[in-house]
Amino acid sequence: MDPNRSALPFREFSHRISLVFMLTLAAALLLLGRAETYVFDRARQVVTDLAAPLLEVASRPVAATRRVIERTDEYAYVFDENERLRAENARLLAWKEEALKLQGKVARYEALLNVQVDPSIEYASGRVVSDSGGPFVETVLVNVGTEQGAKSGQAVIDTDGLVGRLVSTGPKASRVLLLTDLNSRVPVVIEPAHYKAVLAGDNTDWPKLEYLAAQSAISPGDRVVTSGDGGLIPPGLPVGLVIQTSSGDLRVQTFSDRGRLDFVRVLQYEFPSRVKRQDPPEVLKGPGESAELGAAAPAAPAAQAAARE
Amino acid sequence: MAKLEPYSPTPAARAGRIVMTIMPFAIGLACVLLAFVPLGRIVGSALTPAFPLMAIYYWAIVKPEMFPPFAVFAVGLIFDLVSGGAIGLWAFVYVITYAVVISQRMLLVNAPFSAFWIGFLATAAFAGLLAWVIVSIIHGIFVPPGSVIRHMAVTVAVFPVFAMLFGRIQTRVLQGS
Repeated sequence: MDPNRSALPFREFSHRISLVFMLTLAAALLLLGRAETYVFDRARQVVTDLAAPLLEVASRPVAATRRVIERTDEYAYVFDENERLRAENARLLAWKEEALKLQGKVARYEALLNVQVDPSIEYASGRVVSDSGGPFVETVLVNVGTEQGAKSGQAVIDTDGLVGRLVSTGPKASRVLLLTDLNSRVPVVIEPAHYKAVLAGDNTDWPKLEYLAAQSAISPGDRVVTSGDGGLIPPGLPVGLVIQTSSGDLRVQTFSDRGRLDFVRVLQYEFPSRVKRQDPPEVLKGPGESAELGAAAPAAPAAQAAARE
Repeated sequence: MAKLEPYSPTPAARAGRIVMTIMPFAIGLACVLLAFVPLGRIVGSALTPAFPLMAIYYWAIVKPEMFPPFAVFAVGLIFDLVSGGAIGLWAFVYVITYAVVISQRMLLVNAPFSAFWIGFLATAAFAGLLAWVIVSIIHGIFVPPGSVIRHMAVTVAVFPVFAMLFGRIQTRVLQGS
């Protein structure tokens, strides 16, 4: 008789037992995991920190391949692109003049009203090293961690606009909750009428606008920027444009393209109440003014403005 | 046992056996990592196939004793930890899917490739539906199913490539077992 034969049913049996055990364990984890305990958070962070360097190495060839494809595309359309850029440059130069004029004007008004100047925001740059990897979660990993000053809650932007915010950080890598995730809520303002709303992701490509006043007159094409309410995300970061879906809902098309995320900035923003008061820029102070006369400073530009009228 | 192994294996043979034992699991882990590599960025979309599901299905049919339930559980759990989603979601989905695939193994084990692929289509549909139901219960709303349908469709579409790859690995490396 084959000596292996007696082992087979036992093997089958032990296989079945371990299957049932693993099934129970997984179900228990699914229920316990809802509690978001310290142990799970810690385990998640450790695994993420271990995986991030590997993913960074693995994402390099991907980035290189994409660059090659983009280059090829660019060569094909180089003349059209050049033409388009010339036109855009001419348009932007006009805007630059306008912006400089407005900048001066706003600075004068701020000095006049003694407005608290926004503190400059420091940032750490990094690369997006992973994709979300699951159909129900819209998060990515960036290679900026607590060693670079990243903290949970900080806003993440790319060249186009707001990408999301950090939800957990490790020494070398952090997780970014994208605007489209089911759990993402960001306070925003819809320009130009300055209606406030909350941008709520729902795992679709276009997040919803919640808590929008019923009588607010917003229309597709309006610009959406962060409001800064809550003090977590700096105000005025570009988010996207209002669009109307085929079912008539108003949603937001984000400026940042989730499929092309590469280099991002983590903004190390501190709510202004916690930073020292900043004086208006030196150029706005009248000639001969000293630091002791700081209290009188707002009056001087006011007088200048009055004289100009 | 003495009857089964009349000779004592050399260290090299022992090392080879260890490699063979852990190879499917190592491939499963590599698939988890691959699932997070932003491959979709090359074409400017954010779709990544469920690579671990392919490995689990393949080994469950071809050599289940080399991909035991705890390995399936570990692959699912590590996927959950890296993805940042609900902990235990994919561990649970993968272990149940594995159990279902094992129960239907006899149908598929020597079937032609087209049947093997159709079997994977059914498996992916089952896993996607189960995950969608669990996530919807967790969040208390009907989560839009579009992303999971796309995710599983891409997975089924690229499965033949990976099945071929796993087949190669199996014939080259694991044939000795």
